[in-house]
Amino acid sequence: METATRVALSRNVAETEQIGERIGALLRGGELLCLSGDLGAGKTALTRGIGRGWGALEPITSPTFTLIHEHHRARDGQKLYHVDGYRLSGAADAWTVGLDELLHGEDVVVIEWPENVAEALPEERLWVTLDFFDDETRQLTFNASGAQALALLRALD
Amino acid sequence: MTLILGIETSCDETAAAVVADGVRMLSNVVASQIDLHAQYGGVFPEVASRAHVEAIYPVVEQALADANVTLDELDAVAVTRGPGLAGSLLVGVNFAKGLALGRGLPLVGVNHLEGHVYSLWLTEREVPIRFPVVCLIVSGGHSEIVRIADHGDYTLLGRTIDDAAGEAFDKVARLLGLPYPGGPAIQRVAEQGDPTAYNFPRALRGEGYNFSFSGLKTAVLRAVQPPHHGKRQPKRERMSADQLRADVNIADVAASFQAAVVDVLVEKTVRAAREHGANEIWIAGGVSANGPLRAAMTAAADVTVRYPPLKLCADNAAMIAAAGYFRFVRGERAALDMDVRPNWPLVARAGATA
Repeated sequence: METATRVALSRNVAETEQIGERIGALLRGGELLCLSGDLGAGKTALTRGIGRGWGALEPITSPTFTLIHEHHRARDGQKLYHVDGYRLSGAADAWTVGLDELLHGEDVVVIEWPENVAEALPEERLWVTLDFFDDETRQLTFNASGAQALALLRALD
Repeated sequence: MTLILGIETSCDETAAAVVADGVRMLSNVVASQIDLHAQYGGVFPEVASRAHVEAIYPVVEQALADANVTLDELDAVAVTRGPGLAGSLLVGVNFAKGLALGRGLPLVGVNHLEGHVYSLWLTEREVPIRFPVVCLIVSGGHSEIVRIADHGDYTLLGRTIDDAAGEAFDKVARLLGLPYPGGPAIQRVAEQGDPTAYNFPRALRGEGYNFSFSGLKTAVLRAVQPPHHGKRQPKRERMSADQLRADVNIADVAASFQAAVVDVLVEKTVRAAREHGANEIWIAGGVSANGPLRAAMTAAADVTVRYPPLKLCADNAAMIAAAGYFRFVRGERAALDMDVRPNWPLVARAGATA
C-alpha cells in the first residue's frame, strides 16, 4: 500500500486546533484518523479543531469515560465518531464498543490512543503522532496509508 | 405508597434499589466492579458488560429482599437508559424490559445525570427543598452546571469544553502513580500537602459557566516530569519515581491540583446560583464526595448547599428509582421497544429537557 509522511510543528494549543480545523474541512466521509500521543500532547485539541472544520454542532469534549462520542453537522447526515482507546485494550474491547461497525461506514472516525486497539484498525488511515518538542511546542507526524489518506495529506500541503 | 424498583448499569456498577414515593430508600444494592477495574486504571468495557450480566439477577433479588418487597408489590421499574456504555446499558435495560413484560409493570427510562440530581431527594432534610436550584453535576464523565426550576425542568448553564473534573482526577492520579479511582486517592494524599505549593491554572475562572480541565492536566504533567520530556511512556504502567522530577513532592502537587479544581467548580457554581436566582446549590455525582469541594462550596455560598450522603455520590440505583418515581407520577411510560441512548444529554441542544 502506498504511504507518505509529513512533519509539522505546532507552537501552541491554538495552532494545534488550527491544523485540526484544516483537516476537518477537507474530510469527505469514510476517513479514519488515528491520533497518538501522551497525556497532554494535544489529541483532544486537534480533534476539537477537526470537529470545528468538519462542522460539528456540539463542542468536542474528551470521550474517555463514555468511550465514543457521536457528532452531527447541519449540512448533511454524515457523522463524526470521536473514539477514545485510553481504557480499551485489544480487539475484543474494540468489538465490544462497536468500533468495527463505525469503521466500515461512510462516516468519519477520529480515535485517540489508537495503539491500544491497533489490531482492530484497518490499514488505510491517517496516523498522526503528537510528540512533545518542548513545553509548548508539539511535533506532529502524519503517516498516510491508502489513496484516501494520501489525498488528504496532499491537500494539507 | 408508590414502590419503584430502580436498575442502573451505565458504567462501573451493577445496582438495584427499591424506593418508596421517590424519597424513602428501602434498599440499595451495589455490586461494585471496582476491584476488577483497578488493574486496568479505568473502566474496562468488555469486563464491565460481562460482569453486569453475571451480577444483575442476584443484585435485583437482593434489592427486593432487603426492602422486604415482592415483585407483585412494585408499581413500576425504572432503568438507566443513558448516557453510558452501550453494552453495559443494554444489560440493565433488557433486564428491566423482561421484568416489565413478565409482570405487566410500567417501565420508565431515566437519564443517568438526572439520577444524580435525584440522589439529593434521598437525604434527610430539616428544611424542605425550594426551587429553583443550581446543581453542579461532577463525575468521571460529566461536569455540568444545571438550573432546575422544578421537577424535570432543566436548563443547562455550563459544561466542560474538554475533560470532566473526575477524569482530571483520574488522569492526574495516574501521572502521580496513585491508584484508581483518582478522586479519593488524591484527596487522601493531598491532606499532607501544601495547596499553595504550585500555582496551577484556573481556566475560565470568572468567565461564563463552562469548564476546561485539559490545560490543568498538562500543567501538572509539566510540573512533575523532567523538562523536555519527549520519551513516550508505556500506557499501562504508572509513573515510577525515576520518571518524575527529582524535587517533586507528590502531596504538594495533589493538594495544589485539587485546590485548582475545587476553586473553579466553586467560583462558577456560586456565581451561577447568584445570577440565576437560585434558592439552593446542590452538588451531585462522584466528585461531590470530595471533602474540600463540599467545605469550600458551603463556605462560599450565600444559600443552602446540599450534597448526597457519601454512599449515594457514586453510581447507584436508588437515585434512578427516585428520578423514575417523579417521571412515573408525571404519567411517563416507556414502550417495550425503548432503546439505550449512550450519548443522551440531560438537556437537549435546543434547551428543552430531553
